[in-house]
Amino acid sequence: MGIFRRNKQATGQAKGSQKGSSRRDFLKTAATVGAGTAVGAPAIASALEFDFETFMQKNFRELSDEELKGVIERLERKYSEKYGKDVSVSAIGPMDGVLYGYGLDISRCIGCRKCVYACVDENNQSRDPEIHWIRVLEFERSEALRTINLEEGNPYYEHEKVPAEGKFYVPIACQHCEDSPCSTVCPTGATWQEPDGIVVIDYDWCIGCRYCMAACPYGARHFNWGEPNLPAEEVNPDMHILGNKPRARGVVEKCSFCIQRVRKGRLPACHEACPVGARKFGNLLDPNSEIRYLLEHKRTFVLKAELETNPKFFYFWGTEGRS
Amino acid sequence: MTGDDHDLDGDRHPPIQLTIWSVIALAVVVIAGLFTVRLEHQPETTRDYPPRPQIADGEAILLPAPEVADDYLPCNDCHDEVTREQGPVPRELEFEHEDTKLEHGNLWCRHCHDAVDPNNLRLADASLVPFEDSWKLCTQCHGKKLPEWRAGVHGKVTGNWRGDREYVTCVFCHEPHTPPFVPIEGEPRPRRPEEIVLRTSLPGEQ
Repeated sequence: MGIFRRNKQATGQAKGSQKGSSRRDFLKTAATVGAGTAVGAPAIASALEFDFETFMQKNFRELSDEELKGVIERLERKYSEKYGKDVSVSAIGPMDGVLYGYGLDISRCIGCRKCVYACVDENNQSRDPEIHWIRVLEFERSEALRTINLEEGNPYYEHEKVPAEGKFYVPIACQHCEDSPCSTVCPTGATWQEPDGIVVIDYDWCIGCRYCMAACPYGARHFNWGEPNLPAEEVNPDMHILGNKPRARGVVEKCSFCIQRVRKGRLPACHEACPVGARKFGNLLDPNSEIRYLLEHKRTFVLKAELETNPKFFYFWGTEGRS
Repeated sequence: MTGDDHDLDGDRHPPIQLTIWSVIALAVVVIAGLFTVRLEHQPETTRDYPPRPQIADGEAILLPAPEVADDYLPCNDCHDEVTREQGPVPRELEFEHEDTKLEHGNLWCRHCHDAVDPNNLRLADASLVPFEDSWKLCTQCHGKKLPEWRAGVHGKVTGNWRGDREYVTCVFCHEPHTPPFVPIEGEPRPRRPEEIVLRTSLPGEQ
């Protein structure tokens, strides 16, 4: 209750005129809960959408195989009922000898944002309030010869046709750092790096403190300030418990390299959506992979290398003249 | 120094001080114990996943050339001895090719299309290749792109990173007669912070 009350007052203050009414609403809710106590625990549970089993759920890494099976069954039941389709939740693990890496050719990116919306569809992001895991920043081409300040990039550009004359584009999502500051600061152990290099979040263990958002130098983490709104007909029923499972209000979310796809061998959704083939993905430990080819043959760089976060997301310049 | 020397002598400590020290020692042990318990509750660095079978590497599948409107094909419906005579000289294009723009270096039709067999393309060594294998023609000049395309670094790849992968040929993305990309319509921009509407309802409430 404490968290709800505080949120309520905070938003009430932000809106100013509604302060009084929001307090009244709170008192009303408090009264309802009070009555619920008399009726019994299930009444409170339904009033607050409180799920005792979720509340008591262990950290993903500590669940026994048996317990994990139970969690998955419960989630599949819950989502299938909520969205009216056959939802499958997987907890498929990493492959041996695989470390994922991503490459993005900024000489080809045209800033069309098709990756952004492919990601929203694939990963069940909230439509309103709007959450985008990928942000495409627009920069002046003439500025490219000096050091680019990422904070000067414009994610809100609007053009009739892209690419606009004299601009270049840098799409940014989670960089899946080898030394990830976000997972270091998490006080509950809700985010960590998997053996295949994917930085994941246990959404049921996130307490919404947003330390990770403060720690991330790339602005790649996004907070559910409001109740996520995900239309049932647009739900992607192929879910992973650490990836695109629907999030609740008050938790942080971010790109998972489409964990539900890549752990089955498929390419990420943004990769397949890119109309110019600027996105490259593969196994950094496989010397024949396309990601290794571009690391060995192209001029690659990572964002904010000086912070020594060691991202596994590489930007490169693919074109060298017209031949 | 004179007064302090006496304090160093253990026999002179009153019993009450001994009790304080033992309480502090006990507290340290208890706190250390609590920390140990707390550390034991930190989650493992990673889950102990069961081993899983490897997915086969699969193969590279070359997607055939994009479809061309039926009324253009086959080329030899129109192209006969008469058009062959007109062929070599650059001129204003007409009939079906009225709308065909040719802006690809200084190239003219006959640099790529065979005069005798218009259903095929002709390489520099005079051998013929079908339209599906047009990449063999393109890479005669754009040779540097060939290893990059083979490695999957130039051009679009779909399907799987491990398993079957689909490659597209040059002409999927580059219109061979006017190769540079034309700008396309983009998707809508994200909302600015000031455009975000605050909603204050509790969960379950609307």
